[in-house]
Amino acid sequence: MEFNIDDLPVLFPYPRIYPEQYAYMVDLKRTLDAGGNAVLEMPSGTGKTVTLLSLIVAYQQHYPSHRKLVYCSRTMSEIEKALVELKALMKFRAERLGREEDFRALGLTSRKNLCLHPSVRREKSGNIVDARCRSLTAGFVKEKKEKGEDVEVCVYHDNLDLLEPHNLIPNGVWTLDGLLRYGEQHKQCPYFTARRMMQYCNVIIYSYHYLLDPKIAERVSKDLPKDCIVVFDEAHNIDNVCIESLSTDITEDSLRRASRGAQFLDNKINEMRESDQKKLQDEYEKLVQGLRGAEDSQPEDAFMANPILPADLLKEAVPGNIRRAEHFVAFLRRFIEYLKTRMKVRQVISETPPSFLAHLKEYTFIEKKPLRFCAERLTSLVRTLELTNIEDFQPLQEVATFATLVATYEKGFLLILEPYESDTAEVPNPVLHFTCLDAAIAIKPVFERFDSVIITSGTLSPLEMYPKMLDFPTVVQESYNMTLARRSFLPLIVTRGSDQSPISTGFQVRNEPGVVRNYGNLLTEFAKITPDGLVVFFPSYLYMESIISMWQGMGILDEVWKYKLILVETPDAQETSLALETYRTACCNGRGAVLLCVARGKVSEGIDFDHQYGRAVLCIGVPFQYTESRILKARLEFLRETYRIRENDFLSFDAMRHAAQCLGRVLRGKDDYGLMVLADRRFQKKRAQLPKWIAQAILDADVNLSTDMAVSSARRFLRTMAQPFRAKDQEGISTWSIEDLRKHQEKMDEERIRELQAEQERAENGEANAGAAAGGWDGKESDYEMDEDAEAELMALDN
Amino acid sequence: MSRKPGSTSASAGAPAISTEDMCPVCKTMRYLNKDMEFLINPECYHSMCVNCVNRLFNDGPNQCPYAGCHRTLRRKGFRSAFFGDLAVEREVDIRRRVAAVFNQVEDDFETLDDYNNYLQMVEDLTFDLVNGSDARRRQAEATLQQWEAEHRAEIERNRRAGRDADDAARRRIAAEREAARQRRVDALREAEQEKLDRARSREAELDSLASAGPDSASRVQLKRRGGQVAAQRALDAAVGAAEAASGGASGGGGAGGASGVGGASDVGRLSIRGLKEKKKPAASEGPYDPFGGLEFTPSRYRVLPGVHTHPGIEKYKSDPAHVTGGYDFDDYTARAMFEAFAGLAVFVEDEKEVGVGLSASEVTAISAGIAAVGDKMDLD
Repeated sequence: MEFNIDDLPVLFPYPRIYPEQYAYMVDLKRTLDAGGNAVLEMPSGTGKTVTLLSLIVAYQQHYPSHRKLVYCSRTMSEIEKALVELKALMKFRAERLGREEDFRALGLTSRKNLCLHPSVRREKSGNIVDARCRSLTAGFVKEKKEKGEDVEVCVYHDNLDLLEPHNLIPNGVWTLDGLLRYGEQHKQCPYFTARRMMQYCNVIIYSYHYLLDPKIAERVSKDLPKDCIVVFDEAHNIDNVCIESLSTDITEDSLRRASRGAQFLDNKINEMRESDQKKLQDEYEKLVQGLRGAEDSQPEDAFMANPILPADLLKEAVPGNIRRAEHFVAFLRRFIEYLKTRMKVRQVISETPPSFLAHLKEYTFIEKKPLRFCAERLTSLVRTLELTNIEDFQPLQEVATFATLVATYEKGFLLILEPYESDTAEVPNPVLHFTCLDAAIAIKPVFERFDSVIITSGTLSPLEMYPKMLDFPTVVQESYNMTLARRSFLPLIVTRGSDQSPISTGFQVRNEPGVVRNYGNLLTEFAKITPDGLVVFFPSYLYMESIISMWQGMGILDEVWKYKLILVETPDAQETSLALETYRTACCNGRGAVLLCVARGKVSEGIDFDHQYGRAVLCIGVPFQYTESRILKARLEFLRETYRIRENDFLSFDAMRHAAQCLGRVLRGKDDYGLMVLADRRFQKKRAQLPKWIAQAILDADVNLSTDMAVSSARRFLRTMAQPFRAKDQEGISTWSIEDLRKHQEKMDEERIRELQAEQERAENGEANAGAAAGGWDGKESDYEMDEDAEAELMALDN
Repeated sequence: MSRKPGSTSASAGAPAISTEDMCPVCKTMRYLNKDMEFLINPECYHSMCVNCVNRLFNDGPNQCPYAGCHRTLRRKGFRSAFFGDLAVEREVDIRRRVAAVFNQVEDDFETLDDYNNYLQMVEDLTFDLVNGSDARRRQAEATLQQWEAEHRAEIERNRRAGRDADDAARRRIAAEREAARQRRVDALREAEQEKLDRARSREAELDSLASAGPDSASRVQLKRRGGQVAAQRALDAAVGAAEAASGGASGGGGAGGASGVGGASDVGRLSIRGLKEKKKPAASEGPYDPFGGLEFTPSRYRVLPGVHTHPGIEKYKSDPAHVTGGYDFDDYTARAMFEAFAGLAVFVEDEKEVGVGLSASEVTAISAGIAAVGDKMDLD
């Protein structure tokens, strides 16, 4: 269908549109016009991606600025899905407009997924593929080839040089699959095609890491213009991605391997000094000039990536004491030895970067400044030595990155040394965590560089948390409802078992037989009444294991077995995917199945249980994080001190976003239906923290239920859902045809006119009303007071 | 610290065998001696266990027991190594010496390039000292001494400045740590305070419910129940004020006294014909007093609220199990005082003697008192 938002003509590739999709578009356009950031929460399964793409493409094509879209998603399958969606959209546009638009869209993923080289693509590990690819495609390899030396090269890569550099691939939308096929036909490397064409694309779709991970972002996303529209989809975990991208863990083993790497570098330098003194001298000359000078070679060939450095640092010359290769290697070795010594300590230490640096200087005479250049210097050295077996240097690279980060940031980081894996462990296995506490550090460059950054997901509540944590201003913060013609999902909060005793996975009661039995009964009852698939989420693997073994002892699993097949998620990816496959088969052939999984595991994110694959989801317990972890404690403290976010607020927010993710798995569209059961006493107070679209569907009658009550209302619900439901019933309510949309637009216009008139009148009437309005507020406010009492006490149970 | 060039073992640094588990001198293994500790002497950086050091060097200087190393070592020179790799240990020792002499900072130079060149010069020199050939090492040593002689004043000044900077940095770190600790404590206290405040306000609400007049009781009740009741307020106002008050009070639960009256009047409404008309107690009398107006104010002493403290009860004042609504610590002290004073100035013997002329009530009181003193448990 085709309609206008203000002056912007939008082509939407379906004959009907959901009301929330329209609202989303309007807000999105407002954001783009204003040129700011937005946080948008839209229920899962309401066609977020296509809404976003169709508006932004319309925006690109209509306005002369042709702002580029950078769409970041989480997994490869989501990237592919978005590309397919975009392709369909462009096809629709071409049909409607009667011409092909000048438009190019590409997806980028790792070399492993895009390689065509006959032997390299067969490697299993991504790192090895990267390394082998580099050894075939690096600049110096080509030089050697030209000099007539006998070296292996990649024909797919070299063919690219024969093409025009800005027209490696024709216009159109290229899915990853399509790109591979095109590459095969024309014998050109899909990975480098995508990398090099990035600046000539209208739409780029890739993973978060290409933008957030400073080690990669510098290489890949450097040339994007400032007016790009950046979208982070499924962004509810964005803060964790940011933090992970800047944190490193160093173990004794990695240090051992790093020092082996340093030794190897030393040997190489000696070799080179005898054979090719000139190269080292060249590098030295360049370094005297400054880092940038050493860096003008093709960026995509760069072997190793570097963490973000302030721009002024890049212009500065490398400090004199690590300019020479052998000096630098000795420097590295000293640093590694120092870390090894630190690892010998047998008590937990947490310290800030400045105190670490002070101690380092006292014992090894390593100053802060050369340490900052460590990563860059290593990259340059590796390039000079023309090393190709990069995987040997991975640990060394990690240490260098660590060195650079620790010397660059004083605030927002913490070093935590944990000598034992757990409190009870006897054999030391020290790990040095260098943790980033501030999610804003990694994402800051993104907000600084781009005008419009849009963060969107199905579960972002409470919305104000993200701007606070990531430290950015927003133009629009919006959460959308789900308009439904019938009540197609039923959230229930079960707080008590059939015997009226409260159920909770709070730390003190979680292993009490009564509680476990009540949970078991809940599972049995729902296994009886739910058709096809039932998904159960536990707060952690550990708890899941213990509760399953207790259920086995109580005979509960035998009871469930009568009704459903029982499948369990494990930390192993292959086992889990096998379980999933069996689960789907069982759901399809009518046997029905229960999938027991973990709220922070793989299943809870990204795997959809639509239709018969998930008719009910049982969330057993509030999925709090493990609060005893030192890293989490440090982060909580940081959040409190820097952003004034209280510990309990954050923990509760984090638990509820994961719970909401789990619940969202079951409902993937408007014709779908499902039960959502939250089984914990503590959910009753946390109800308000669920996303708006779930929270609004919870009736007061459905909270604080006991198991039998929950089962009876679930039965009623399932009976209603079993009635025939035609697409026609939804029309005008949860789906709009073009007429409905027009009507709505007219109504909105009228409303706006009325509002304006009212405003005018008010202005005429003067301030007389102002006092009354203020008085009206007081009454409302008291409504909010009552809910906070028991929160602290509830949290205490878990600590 | 004379570090004459010479034996190759010194420049090679640590021997290749893992010295972690076996002493190279006496071949004792860690298996046999769990707390084996290794020491080195910066003369030659050969490591050996503490026992060997004691055995060999307690009687004065001796030769290094390593084959081919002919240095004379003293007990005093031995120390434990900071680094696992003794080559690095040695390098750092040398660096310490060099850093003491070459301690210029960036501000001493006109341009950054000059500073970088200086740094490289120092690094070259250090490198020569650490693993250069004999000739280079000698030369470096000479340069070092020459520089030291030439720049003595400057070195001294920089050393002092460096020490000051180090001290300042250390102080800053300590201050930051202290500030962080303080903030943590503050936050904890704040949270505690908040919790207490909430408990207190709740209690105050209950108290105000208990002691307030009928009208305000209903108001407090309404406020507590929140918004949905606000709509009901108009309806309630229409019903008689007294009834609303009694209903509100009994619902509140904290106002034990008033509910008795409310209940009674409710029962009275179930009308059975032919019953005698009972007189309704006046509604405006205030809360029901179970003691019938008996005065409890002690005559012999006074209890001041909040003044009487005792370490035994102090800790319960913040215990949530004890700080429930309706419980007052002053009550406890008042009762304790009452008990303490109850028997004073009463002499059982005297009372017995005058017992003849007493009224009946007084006799029972005394006999009860005697029974309580004699065998306590009869009454309980």
